[in-house]
Amino acid sequence: MENQLIDHLFRHHSGKMVSVLTRIFGLKHLDIIEDAVQDTFIKASISWRNNLPENPEAWLTKAAKNRVVDIFRTLKTAQKNLPNINQGTDTIAINELFLDSEIEDAQLRMIFTACHPQLDSRDRISFALKTISGFSIKEIASALLTKEETIKKRLSRSRKAIKDSDIKFKIPQGEALKPRLETVMEVLYLVFNEGFHSNKKEKLIRKELCGEAIRLTQMLLKNKLTRTPDAYALCALMCFHASRLESKTNAENELLDLKHQDRNLWYFPLIKLGNTMMNKAVETPEFSCYHYEAAIAAEHLKARTFEATNWKKILHWYQCLNTLQPMPTHLLTMSVVCMQTKDFKLAKRYLDELKPEDFQQRAYLFYGAKAEFYAETNDYLKASEYFDLALDNVTNALEKKYLERKRNSIIRN
Amino acid sequence: MKDFMMIFTGADYTDLGLSPEELQTRMGKWFAWGNKMQEQGILKGGEALTPQIRRVVGKNRTITDLTSAEVKEIVGGYYTVSAKDFDEVVKIAEDYPDYDLDGSVEIREIMVFDR
Repeated sequence: MENQLIDHLFRHHSGKMVSVLTRIFGLKHLDIIEDAVQDTFIKASISWRNNLPENPEAWLTKAAKNRVVDIFRTLKTAQKNLPNINQGTDTIAINELFLDSEIEDAQLRMIFTACHPQLDSRDRISFALKTISGFSIKEIASALLTKEETIKKRLSRSRKAIKDSDIKFKIPQGEALKPRLETVMEVLYLVFNEGFHSNKKEKLIRKELCGEAIRLTQMLLKNKLTRTPDAYALCALMCFHASRLESKTNAENELLDLKHQDRNLWYFPLIKLGNTMMNKAVETPEFSCYHYEAAIAAEHLKARTFEATNWKKILHWYQCLNTLQPMPTHLLTMSVVCMQTKDFKLAKRYLDELKPEDFQQRAYLFYGAKAEFYAETNDYLKASEYFDLALDNVTNALEKKYLERKRNSIIRN
Repeated sequence: MKDFMMIFTGADYTDLGLSPEELQTRMGKWFAWGNKMQEQGILKGGEALTPQIRRVVGKNRTITDLTSAEVKEIVGGYYTVSAKDFDEVVKIAEDYPDYDLDGSVEIREIMVFDR
């Protein structure tokens, strides 16, 4: 009883098996397939209790193959137009689908299915987490801070969309590939952000979401069709961010800004991996938003202390990012970056381009930045005016506390 | 030292909607528990049972097939261990992994016949 199982073996294998079986039987049998795969894991979890098999992965794959035959029998009674699985050539064909390279291909097909434009954008993440990452409904609900009922609805709506529009289990070819790949990367980035940005979730769940997003992005990098500079950049970006996951919150699970994070907690192997990815990403001269975001993240990681941050470079990358994808939040950040370098003229120019409406419920961010600007330029009257406005608009208790502290320090001056 | 049987009831994984990850974690706990007992040299044996049930009842030997859903408390498996007394087995049973799934451990002493 010495050998230990690889972390997440079941989870990852579940995605593999669902994908391969879907490739054999088609998306219309997804329900049966998911149930069958689930059965295999229940069986394994009980029969392995006292004795792990020599090669757990091979055991699971064999179990999946056996399930193929079982499912086939079930389906065969319902419909006649299925190939006969017991005849030689089909068995060989099926064995081939269980080769590693084919399993990867099947998983990629599943990723593209989950991110298909026919699926409602909110449903894509849930469906991907279920079919590719083997999350249970309960796990998805807690990962997305949503009710289990809602997740059930999202999953059945996705399945219906797949059936109704007869989505094919394929990686799109030719012209169609580029826009579809963009959607895939968007979804993977959303999964990552779900994990990275919320301190309402348990750290374990957040780590798992980030880990899954990175794993799936790496899957894109294994296939020559989807191995693009943008995908490399996205992977680099995720690695850079994820390296800071431990330092992002304190023991009370409160968010810490970059200034107050313990830089010793940054996870070096991920930074290294991110650098490798980034080098691949810049082999061609065309850069995406992911490139610039990764460059910004890398710049922060390079600084040994907050004070040592190279704000000029960060500003440059933000300017590039905002040219490619103009967004009020970029401008706001740029103005805050300018305040770090005491370039108040430019900071004001960026602020003047913005209106509180640009930020909707997050207008307090705008007011807060304005307040900081006036405080830095010694206009304390205006500063406290804006701090009051920010405080009127903030809902998050932590951020409220932060703003209050700032305002009080100004009043004292 | 006496021999005891720990009989595990309830906690049938079939319809609980556990994810592969949870199943692996649970299996890991079972594994660790078995290891621990083995290292202490107290584990005598044990098996897990599949949830299919065929029941033979009465004088007429009436046969019924049941699923776990039709049985209130299904026996999922057992371990036999050697221990000083019931209290010691209760301590051993603290590591049973499925209490949170409404599983329970029933401890019975194995009867020794005088020769």
